Amino acid sequence: MTREAFEARLRDILAERYHDRHPFNLRMHAGTLAPEEIRSWVRNRYYYQTRIPIKDGLILTKSEDPAFRRQWIRRIHDHDGDGAREGGLELWLRLAEAVGLDRAEVASLRDVLPGVRRACDAYVRFVSGHDLLESVASSLTELAAGGLMAERITCFEKHYPWVKTDGLRYFRSRTEQAPRDAAEGLGLVLEQATSEEDQERCARALLRKCEILWQLLDGVEWGARRLRLAAGAQLRDDDGEGPLVVLAERAVQMNGTGREILGLADGSRSVCGIAAALRARNPEPPEVEREAYAFLEEMEKLGVVEEAR
Amino acid sequence: MSAPRPWNLIAELTYRCPLRCPYCSNPLDLAAHPDGLDAEAWADAFREARALGVVHVGLTGGEPTLRRDLPAIVSAAAAADLHVHLVTAGVPIDADGLAALQRAGLGSVQLSVQDAEAERSDRIAGAPVFAKKLAFARAARALRLPLTLNVVLHRENLARVAELIALARELGARRIELANTQYHGWALRNRAALLPTREQLRAAAAAVARERERSRGLEIVFVLADYFAERPKPCMGGWGRKAMVVAPDGRVLPCHGAAELPLEFWSLREHALRACWEDAPGMNAYRGEGWMREPCRSCPARAQDFGGCRCQSFALAGDAAEADPACALSPHHAALVAAREREAAASGGPELAWRTLR
Repeated sequence: MTREAFEARLRDILAERYHDRHPFNLRMHAGTLAPEEIRSWVRNRYYYQTRIPIKDGLILTKSEDPAFRRQWIRRIHDHDGDGAREGGLELWLRLAEAVGLDRAEVASLRDVLPGVRRACDAYVRFVSGHDLLESVASSLTELAAGGLMAERITCFEKHYPWVKTDGLRYFRSRTEQAPRDAAEGLGLVLEQATSEEDQERCARALLRKCEILWQLLDGVEWGARRLRLAAGAQLRDDDGEGPLVVLAERAVQMNGTGREILGLADGSRSVCGIAAALRARNPEPPEVEREAYAFLEEMEKLGVVEEAR
Repeated sequence: MSAPRPWNLIAELTYRCPLRCPYCSNPLDLAAHPDGLDAEAWADAFREARALGVVHVGLTGGEPTLRRDLPAIVSAAAAADLHVHLVTAGVPIDADGLAALQRAGLGSVQLSVQDAEAERSDRIAGAPVFAKKLAFARAARALRLPLTLNVVLHRENLARVAELIALARELGARRIELANTQYHGWALRNRAALLPTREQLRAAAAAVARERERSRGLEIVFVLADYFAERPKPCMGGWGRKAMVVAPDGRVLPCHGAAELPLEFWSLREHALRACWEDAPGMNAYRGEGWMREPCRSCPARAQDFGGCRCQSFALAGDAAEADPACALSPHHAALVAAREREAAASGGPELAWRTLR
């Protein structure tokens, strides 16, 4: 297809699939997220921020063109900072502080939700396993990011005045960087993808990236799900082999920690709330949240727990 | 060898059934096995099972709701502190009957449907029951009983797995089992009329994958037929290892099909459940790995698949101790593949033979 038609196709994909249409984002911009949900999003999205310079580093290795690399390496500086200015990672941690999170806890990545982790890792894996053209095409979600960032600043000022304005500097920096980055990426893609086949590969890469961003927000939403023992499930503490849940189609055995987590899943706590309660009881081991999340994901898959309604 | 702990008791309360599905897993000579245990005998069995470690009982048949004493049987299972799961065709029981079973301690239900719409479903069932099945599902939902839909798949309904999954969503089921026909008993007799083509199976698997995306909260289980797999299934989780089947006549078996093997199983009419499970010669015939021959004996997969299905080996290889012919390593696998290719390719195929008392 022509260059113009190809560009229109890419923009159509963003209009339909970009995560600005995700229910969580719609609620954020409508001003209906609770402070705890804002905090969870900020905490989890930080993992995505940490993946960006890594995938940009991978993209650098795919090019033989010094001019391209010179231009693209700026993205890494934008995120990591340099001597003269603070980078996007630092600004995101400021946002974390501004919403009331502990900076070191966020930076430790210890309570990143599993769906968020999978989505972000999938992005790095995608770039690692595809060529320069597809990798750059996958970055074109930036085309829609500038507008979203501007909207986000307005929405935070209006709906979440408890977030200190200094925290919004990340969004401000991206309103300038994203359009510039997007224009560069789009230029390369439009120039190099001239065959139908390459254009199709680019469109698919962009779709995949939209899917990844969508799954990231699904992962954040999962953290807010209030879970409880499934209706009809029989919890047995009298079995000689340890705690046991008997369901219609299976019986599930668990250890003492699993039983403790299940006890916390009483329908009043969210997934994140369960992990936090477990953390409060077990201050030491660094993997408490990860274990709680992995266990609850597995139990939900097996039908042991369900969403309380 | 010493007997392991059983977890699950499958209680075949009767072989009687108002349906006549041509792939029924009951024995071909089902009329020779009348209901041999009354509610009191079942109550004893449940108490003994609990003492052995069983935590779950599946009430099945035939059609268990044909038993007039079903409320007493459910109540006895619940009193024995077991999770009580009912496997039914949804007839002749009605909403009031289901509510009574719930009051007696029923924990969950599994409903069979034969296809996604009335005419086709009723044709396979051999009786006009589809509307009653839907009414049963809605009654279960109204009572908040966890509901599983079970569909046996074959040539005539494989094209509608998407519709079947949509039906499960609409009925508020928590789980749907889409199980391709396994060829034993009635199904083996009807194999040439039931076997699908590989293309049909591929299309169905793709449809299942698509529907999974839009079925949050619904567990979708898609079980491929042995005939199209390279490795056998861990039938029943191993012979006499996790589950026991009690047949209507009181015999304690390792699976539904084992009654057709030339083995000595014991009956609750003569022995205690513990003896039937631990000591009956048939129950010990294929426990563990001592009975295995090559290629199973040295196979690294033997701890996962336990050698597959003894009944299939007996039916197709003539000896239950042979490797399951579903396994690509079995010397009898080629014959199974040849039958699959020949019968699946035959367009039209022979007429189905519906289950009947003869």
